[in-house]
This record gives sequence, structure tokens and C-alpha cells, in this order.
Amino acid sequence: MKRGIKNTLSMTFVTLMMFNMVACGQDSSQNQDQDQTVEESVGQEEVTEGFSPKYATDMEYKLSVAGTYSNFESLESAIDRFYEYYPNGEISYTFLDDYRNTIGPALAGTEPPDIYVVQPWMYGNPLFQPLFDDAEVLSAPELGINLDCIRSSVKWEMDNGEIVALPVFATSYGILVNMDIFEKEGLQVPQTFDELKSVCEKLRAAGYESPVMGANTSTTPGIGYAFSYPMFAKTVKDDRTIEDDLNNLVPSAGEAMRAALTRLNELVEIGCIDVEKCTAEIEDDYNAVIMRFFEGDVPMMLCSGDVVSGTKKRESKSEAFSANPFRYDFYVAPSGDDGGYFMDSISILFCVNKNSASLDMTNEFIRFLTSEEELGLMAQEKRLITPTKDYSLDEVYASLADFPEERTVNFRDTEILDTAVKQFRAAAYAVVNGEMTVDEAVANYGSIPTD
Amino acid sequence: MKKRYIIIINILMVGLILFIIVKYANDRAVESNLASIASFEKMTATTEQIVANYLEDEQHLCDIWANYINRSAEAGTPMTVDEAISYIRKAKISPEISGHLIYIDDGSMTGTSTTASSTDPSNFSVKYSHINIFENLEISNVNGVVNLTRAYTNPLNGVQSIGFLNNIKVVDGETGNMHDALIIRVVPVSRLEQKLVFLKGEYENVEISLIDWDGDYMIHGKSLKNSNFFEYFKSYNPMSAQEYEKAVDTIRTDIGSMHIKNSKNEDSVIAYAPLSNLDSWFLVAYIPAYELTTSRSIDWMLLGIVAFGLIILLHFNLMILLKFNRKLAVAAEAANQANEAKSYFLSTMSHDIRTPMNAIIGMNEMILRDGKDDNVLMYSENIRAAGNTLLGIINDILDFSKIEAGKMEIIEVDYNFASLLNDIVNMVQRKADEKQLTFKLDVDKNIPRCLRGDEIRIKQVITNILSNAVKYTKEGSVTFSINSTKCDDSPDYVNLHVSVADTGIGIKEEDLDKLFEAFERIEEKKNRNIEGTGLGMAIAQSFLNMMGSKIQVESQYGVGSVFSFDLRQRVVKWEPLGEFDAAFKSFLKEREKYKVSFVAPDARILVVDDNEINLKVFVNLLKETRMQIDTAESGDASITLFKRNFYDVIFLDHMMPNKDGIETIKEMKACTDTPNNKTPIICLTANAVSGMREMYINAGFDDYLTKPIDTKKLEGMLLTYLSADLVKQVDEEKKCILVVHEDIAFLRGVMAGLSDLYEVAVAKSIEQAQTYLKTHEADLILMDYEMPELAESYDGKIIRDHFKEINVDQVISQVNDYFA
Repeated sequence: MKRGIKNTLSMTFVTLMMFNMVACGQDSSQNQDQDQTVEESVGQEEVTEGFSPKYATDMEYKLSVAGTYSNFESLESAIDRFYEYYPNGEISYTFLDDYRNTIGPALAGTEPPDIYVVQPWMYGNPLFQPLFDDAEVLSAPELGINLDCIRSSVKWEMDNGEIVALPVFATSYGILVNMDIFEKEGLQVPQTFDELKSVCEKLRAAGYESPVMGANTSTTPGIGYAFSYPMFAKTVKDDRTIEDDLNNLVPSAGEAMRAALTRLNELVEIGCIDVEKCTAEIEDDYNAVIMRFFEGDVPMMLCSGDVVSGTKKRESKSEAFSANPFRYDFYVAPSGDDGGYFMDSISILFCVNKNSASLDMTNEFIRFLTSEEELGLMAQEKRLITPTKDYSLDEVYASLADFPEERTVNFRDTEILDTAVKQFRAAAYAVVNGEMTVDEAVANYGSIPTD
Repeated sequence: MKKRYIIIINILMVGLILFIIVKYANDRAVESNLASIASFEKMTATTEQIVANYLEDEQHLCDIWANYINRSAEAGTPMTVDEAISYIRKAKISPEISGHLIYIDDGSMTGTSTTASSTDPSNFSVKYSHINIFENLEISNVNGVVNLTRAYTNPLNGVQSIGFLNNIKVVDGETGNMHDALIIRVVPVSRLEQKLVFLKGEYENVEISLIDWDGDYMIHGKSLKNSNFFEYFKSYNPMSAQEYEKAVDTIRTDIGSMHIKNSKNEDSVIAYAPLSNLDSWFLVAYIPAYELTTSRSIDWMLLGIVAFGLIILLHFNLMILLKFNRKLAVAAEAANQANEAKSYFLSTMSHDIRTPMNAIIGMNEMILRDGKDDNVLMYSENIRAAGNTLLGIINDILDFSKIEAGKMEIIEVDYNFASLLNDIVNMVQRKADEKQLTFKLDVDKNIPRCLRGDEIRIKQVITNILSNAVKYTKEGSVTFSINSTKCDDSPDYVNLHVSVADTGIGIKEEDLDKLFEAFERIEEKKNRNIEGTGLGMAIAQSFLNMMGSKIQVESQYGVGSVFSFDLRQRVVKWEPLGEFDAAFKSFLKEREKYKVSFVAPDARILVVDDNEINLKVFVNLLKETRMQIDTAESGDASITLFKRNFYDVIFLDHMMPNKDGIETIKEMKACTDTPNNKTPIICLTANAVSGMREMYINAGFDDYLTKPIDTKKLEGMLLTYLSADLVKQVDEEKKCILVVHEDIAFLRGVMAGLSDLYEVAVAKSIEQAQTYLKTHEADLILMDYEMPELAESYDGKIIRDHFKEINVDQVISQVNDYFA
């Protein structure tokens, strides 16, 4: 066969193949979608290493998750990934109004959730005791849930050693750092208070009126709490003898606040933070904090991990950030002479309703969820701190990896009750705003107005 | 058509078919999709009606509660809270549904429920202060219209529920104070969801959601992530703010559908419709797009099968085509080779026959020019005629290829009809004599003697017909008849009717059609001993067709045949032919001797030919032009002369050993040190097949002359290419006078007096005179009366007188009078 004819034939078939490919565009796009799904599935298998369905994959099921978030897309994403293994089911997430008061009745009601959210502060409160009483023991070996992937600092064992709640997100307090500004000014993110002072001085010299900003509130994401509470908690951790007095609001226990409040006062006095500017420009302790930070001219923003979780969705909502995006990371606030203090706190946990009508499948879902990868992906999507040992999935929190244990405080290290915490928040707010001196705040512990 | 064009056409046709199928499938699929979507929208509208009716019913039940309680108040016997709750407990049928009665006038938003808390069976108190569901409702003036809350958590049992509201007035049992209160019919969302189960039968993956004005869900579809539909829509369908607002506005105001991307970036369809009689509630039905377009896969499968079939068919056709092409290519190659062989054969035959024919005809021409004896001249004339006929046959064979190629031309010349007949008769008579057949001639004596037409072709046509007649007649006769009639419409033309009748084997009627087909011989087996190529009649018919005529055949099988045709010929001389035998002799006698058309003693020409005889022929044919003719027997020899001498014209043979004419002319053209840069070079060749003239002209020759050489053509060509100043007219020939007288003095005197004007020969005796006349022709013979008679009669050419009695001047006067 002559070359010309071969070429013609080749061109014919190539043309026809292309023609058919174009003609079958819709199918191929569907196929691509399917392929993509397969790829994702394969990728997912890599991500959820070791997970293999325990039950028949065509099992039909219906599960419900009740929680406090009005919106829980990171969980919905995890559910979608679970559907890859068990496609014939439905897991719905329901936000309960007045969760504090409705979760109990819900568990006792006609449509109890299979999985529900608990938070650390609920423990010990009789109102919420049914939540723990009704919880499945996740550490039961027969369930095969790999709880070893959870960081020990957030792994919550009951007194009897059982684990009934799976930490889903962790949180902390610290600063959001505009890395582009630091790079532009040739500065390193400060690790100690001295470095912070030095950096602030240079930033002020560079035209940043308030190198550190934050919400001037008495809430947990507020300036005083975010900067100095970890230091206060570390003080208590180091001397737990004062813990009872603190919880009992004994005025003399207020001395435990002195170091933290003094450092906070110093922060304000040396001009690292312009409180008036913060008050004027940041209206609330969540949305406004994020949107102000996205303006791009704030080197460091004091906040909680919950605030950081709101950044991802608001990037696109900020015209300034959309126009001039920049890299930002979360760091522990450098309040100590040797470095900052990392409050490794649990944000929310999942409990399995042991009375669930679909208990096996519920446990199977929790088994699926309990992996560094799945929990990491959820945390990454929610932009909260993962409860697992691997911080690598979200670079915003990369600074927390290998944080020194001696400067880490977790929920087991202290048992400061809510009333004591509120006293500290109020004291910190008063000092920041000049309403009280440090001495006055220390002296008035137990009687500082909290509302 | 070239193979690639066939392949391309096939491809285009397959492509076109596929395109049409694709388009058809696509159109049907689009129609199907549109129909599916329309059906989906219709289902959504139906669902909306069901939901709206259900909600209206629930609201109506709530209103009944409220009306009953309020009528008591209006009647002046208002119910207490306990009485109202007791009434509702009795009125409600379903245990899933509860009634909540809460005070709204004191802002406490607390009250009593018909059912106890799921955690404390003794606790019927209900508190709505932490459940934010009344923000957008005018709870103080519900006015009986459908008023429902968003889906919220029933504070007593934690079940997601919808509340239907109405205002009531109750009395405080303890204080007796009237209170404005809100009665809430609390219906689990799951109860509403159950109403939508029927949809699963029609659409497997449909998900119904109910959203409020802000997009918050009352019923939340599984695939719709986020707690707010609009946020979900925006998250996975990036668009400008303007586009987003438009889409939201469309969902809020219209009934319809749109394609959206779900959280997996899959194409999905949502149909939307506002709930009737309900402000700010909308039904959104979600379904993956593929479920509405699954029917397309059937079309694509069909398309795939058809496409595959067409490709196989195309492939099969191409294979078959290629196979045939290969065979055709082989056959074409063989045909080409055969054609080349034929061309080579024709070329060689033409050349090899014409080369000796040139010598024969050329030398015969010399005899004709110089011969004096009538018999010799007659023999020579027969040689010339036979030679020309042979040449004609060769030409006919060659020209058969011209006929095939459509290049045959009719060349008209003036010809002597007697000569034409003589040539024919000479050719046929001998053959007839050999077969002892009677050859009868019936020639109309009134046929004009000189006509204009293609003598060679006419001669060949008649010769072919006569030859066939002789060939296929075993005994009897062949009658050749020819007569002429004047053409009425054209006075210068005559119509020749030629007829050849034989007593031969005849032709079957069914074989008549084969008669004029080339290479077709009738009754081949029967006539296998009769020589012939089967070309003759085909050529004859072709020639006659070209001359506007055709052969008519009348035949009776076993009896004989008559072949005839009519031919128009222009008359050159009306002088009648007369009796053919006498006319032929007269023609021979009157045949003008060759006379050279010009002389050019100063012209110098070169003729190149490897054949020595042909060189002699060429030189002799031009002898009387008195040109200076150089000859060369090879290309190399000619190039030497070409470089050395100037020539006015060069004649160069083609087929020569070592260096042929084309190689020689290339070398000549490339030569710069020669005086002959502008000298015309004429190809003198025996190669006379069609297309040769163009070939030689392309090779660089200025003209082309074939052998055997036609003297007239040769001289004509020379007159064309020689410079005018070289050519001179031939002097008028002096009349030849023979004077016979015994007196030498008289002879001297006459010779002296006439030699200036005439060529004078003298003879002293009658014997001398007769000897002279044997080798010379005299125009006038002067003889004294006393001299005896010459042996031959020279009537009209002899003047007798008593020349002793008259002087020389008188003799001269008599001669001049004779030639005057």
C-alpha cells in the first residue's frame, strides 16, 4: 500500500475517532466525571488509608447528625466521601435551635440523632449528663475505631478510661500574621515577647500605626483573652494548688492573673496595639476581625481559632483581599519571655447515640471519620485545628507542629471553671481599656463585673 | 478518478452520514431533554400544589383551634390556658403533632404544651425565648392566613418541626387577666417529608427542598449542602454578583428550572416554584442532570454502532478498491508497455521502411528526370506510383494510431484522376489476375481530369474495398465502377459515385455490423486463410466519415456484395477524363518533366545523414538548384563543418549511430564559436509517426521534413528559409533546333545566326540527325527538301525548304515565326 494511501487511511480513522469523540462529548464528559470520581475514590483510598468497609457496601441506611453549627460543610464533604463506600444511604446534618436546651430532649425524643455534638464545657453539668450517658464507647475494641490518630492532648478519656467522644476540631488563641507584610518588611514572625516588641517597633516605624490589632471585647476572641489567657492558664498549670481558689472566686487567687495581665498591659503601653483604633475599626469579635485583617494593612491580628475558621469563606467576600490577596498564618501569641503558650483546646466532639436505630452504621461512619486524613480534611475545610497529630494538611496552622510540650496547655492540665474564666476575661478587658490597673484587677478578682 | 479522490469522497460521505446521525441524535436528545425538563417542572408544580395544600390544611386545623378558643372569648367565657390546652389535646388526632400555647403580650414567649418534654413527662411548659423563629412574623396579627415558621427544633422533644400559628385570647386562671397568646400547631418536618415519598417512584434521585425567602431550609435535600440554599448555589456556581442576584430573583419569582453545578461539580437541574398562598416559601426540586438525560445513551450507542459499521464498510470498500486498483495498475502498466511497444514498433517500422524508400523513390525520381525512353519512363512511373502507394499504406498504418488518438487530418491536394485510377488499377489488376478473376472497369469518361481532394486517402479507401473484393472472391469477377455528376448546389464540385461489385462469398446480415470494426474479421475460422489485419474497412470508413461520406454495403450471402460510396470533390479542371486507357497514356506523355523551381548558386547548405545513398539522393534532387551542398555522414562530422563553415540551411537526420540528431542539435545549439548561430536546422527523418513534428520542434529543430523526400516540399521549404537575395528565377529554356543540311557553310551560317536565341544542333546527314534525336529532343527540325525522310514522324516539328536559295536571315525569320 502506497504511503499516500496509508496516510489518507490514517487520517480517516483519526478524523472519525475525533468526530466520534466530539459527537460523544456529553458522554465523554460524563465519563470524565466518572473517571474523576474514580480518581477521587482512588485518591480517597490513599487518604483514608486502611479504611475498608466492614459491611456490605450496598447496605441502605439513614443517619442523622445534630450539631451546633448552622452550617457544617466540612462534615458534608466527609459524608460525600463516605458515600463512596456506602452509596445507598443518607446522612443528614441538622442544626438544632437552642442546642443547649434541645439536644437533651432530642436524644429522648421520637427522632433522636445518631450522632450529636458535645463540647468540653458540657461535661460535669448535670443538664448535659445524658449526652455522655447515652454515648457509645468509641474506644471499645470491637468497634475497631483507630483513636491513636488523635493527639493525646485532645484525646478525651473518661475517668474509667473509656472514650465516648471523638474530637473533631481543636482550637486555640493566638495571632493571624500577614506573612506578606513581614516578608516585605524583612521581618521574622516574633517568637518571644522581646521579639514582638522589636518587630512592633520596626513596623510602627514602617508606618503601621497598630502592628497588633484585635476585637476589643471581653469575649474569648477579644484582645485580652486571646493574648494573655494562655499565659494565665500556664500559670495555673504550673501551680494547680490555686485552682480551687480560682474556681471558688477567692479574691487572693487573683494573684495568679498578675503575670498575664502585666504582660497584656505592657503590650498596650509599648504601643504594639492601638486599642482605640481597634475599637473604632473592629465592630465585633468575628466577622469584623476577619474583614479588617483582609484589608491587608494589619501585620498581626489577635483572635481565636474559631475566628480563623471563618477566614476561608470570607476571602472571596473581601474586595480588598480579592484584589490583593496575601498569605497568612496562625501563630501562638508571643506573650512569654521564652515564647508563647499554646492552648490546645477541643472545639467540638462527636458522640454516637448508643440507642441509635442504626448503631452499626453509625459506628462505621465514625470509624471512617477517625483517621488523620479525614479529620485533617474536615479541619482543613473548616479551617480549624485538626485534633490529630498531623498539622500538614493546613499550612495556616503549620506553625503549631512540634510546638514545645512545656509551653502547651491542654484541657486536662487545668480545670478552670467557666466562672473563673469569665473573671479573667473581664479583668483583661478592664486592663486593656484602662478601666483597671493590673493591681486593681488582681485585687478585685471574684468581683469583677462580667457582663 | 484518482484513488485519493475516491477515498476522500468516501470519507466525506461517511463523515456526512455520521454528522447527520449525530445531529439527528443530538436534536432528538435535546428535544428529549427539554421534554424531560418540562416534565420535571410539571412534577415540581404538582408537588408544590400537594405541599401547599398540605400546609393549608395544617393551617386550617390550627385556625379551627384558634377559632374555637377565640369564640369562647368572644362569647364572654374565655378559656383558661389549661382549658385551651385540654381542648387542643382532644382536638388533635395525631400523637406526633402537638400544640403549644405561649404568651406573647408579656414578652416571655413561654407557655404550655399539649405534650410533655421528652426528658420529663411531668413537664409541659414550653419556652421559645431562645428559639429565634418569630423574627419575620407578625405574630400579634396573624389574621387567619397561612402563617408558618421555618423548620425549628421543638424545644420539648428536639424534633425538627414546623409551626402553624394563630392568635388566641385566654384568661389567666389565677389572676383573671386576659392574655394575648399564640397557638402553635407543631408538625414534625418528617411528616411533610412523608408526603413527598411518592416522588421516588418517578424520579429516583429527586430531592425536594422547601426554602424561605432567605434560602434557609424548611426541608433540606440531601445533596444540597450548606444550611442556606442560596449560599450553596453561590458556592458551587461561581458568577458575578449581578448574575447571582438575577438567579435568586428568578427562583423567588418564577416557576421554571435551571442547570446548576452541585458540590461535586456535576451538572444538575433544579426546578422551582413559589408555594401558593404562602408568602416567601419556595419549593426547590433537585435532580442530577444525568437522570433526565439517560435516554441519550441509547442514541449514542446506536450512533456508535452505525459509526463502527460505516468504518468497517469504508475499510472494506477501501480494501476492495485498493485490490482492484492494484489489478488496474498492473493492467494499465501492461497496456502502457504494449502501447509503448506499439509506438516503438510503428516508429521503427516507419523509419526502417522510409529510409530505403527514400533511396528507391529518390533514385527513381532521377530516372524520371533524366529518362528519355517512354518505356523506361512508364516503368519508372509505375515504380513511383507503387512507391507512393506503399508510402500511403505505411502512412495509413501509422495514421491508424492517429485515428485512434483523434489526430487524423484530411489533407487536400490537386490530383490527376487518371493517375489515381491508374495507381488503383495497377495495384488491383495484378491481384485479380493472380486469382484468375475478371476485373471489369466501368469508368465514366466525363469525370473531370483534375480534382482536389485527399488523393492518398481516396486511393486507400478504394484500394481497400477492391482488395477486399478480390480477397473474398474465389471466382467470377470484380467490377469497379466510377462515375460523376455535377453538384447542383455547388457548381465547382462533382459527386463521385464509386462502386465495387463482386461475386464473392457475401456477408450475412448479422455480420454487417462487424464489418467496420477494427481488427474484426467476419467468419474468422472460415476465412482464416485469407490474409488481412481487419483494419482496412475500419480505416476506409473512418476516412470517408472524415470526408463526409460513408460506405454502403449490399450483400447476399453466397452470391456477392456491392460496396459503394459517394464523395464530393472540387473540380480543378473540367477537362473530361475520356477513355481511361487513352487518358492514362496521355497522362504519362503529358506528364510535365521536372523543372526546378529556383536556383541559388550562392546558397550553401549542409545535409547530415548516416546513409550514403540518401545523401546522394538529397544532393541529386537539388542538383538543378545549383546550390553548394556539403554532406556529412555523422553528427560529429557535421559539428566540425558547423563550426567551420557558414550554411544558409542545415538538414539533419535524427536516427544516426553514435550521436543522433537530437544530441547533435543540442551540441550545435550549445556551440558559440560558429558562424551558424542563426542558421535554421531542419530535421530530415524517416520517423513520421504522429506527434513527431512537435517532438522535433521541442528538441530545437526549426522544421521537419520526412523521408522519402518530396522534391516539391523540399524546394518549398528551402524557399521559406533561404534569404531572398540568394534565390534566383530559372532562365527561360532555349528552344532546341536541329538543322540538317549537307552544306557545312550553310550550317555554320545558320548556327551563327540562331545560336544567340536558340540552342542549335547541326547534322550533315540524315543518319547523324537520327542518332541525335535518339538522345535529344528537338523543338524544331530544319531539313532541306533534298534530304531523305526521317525514320520517325515529327509532325509539326519539321520545316522543309530549299535553304540554298534563301539567306540566313530568312531562315531566322522562319524559325522565329514558328515559335511566335
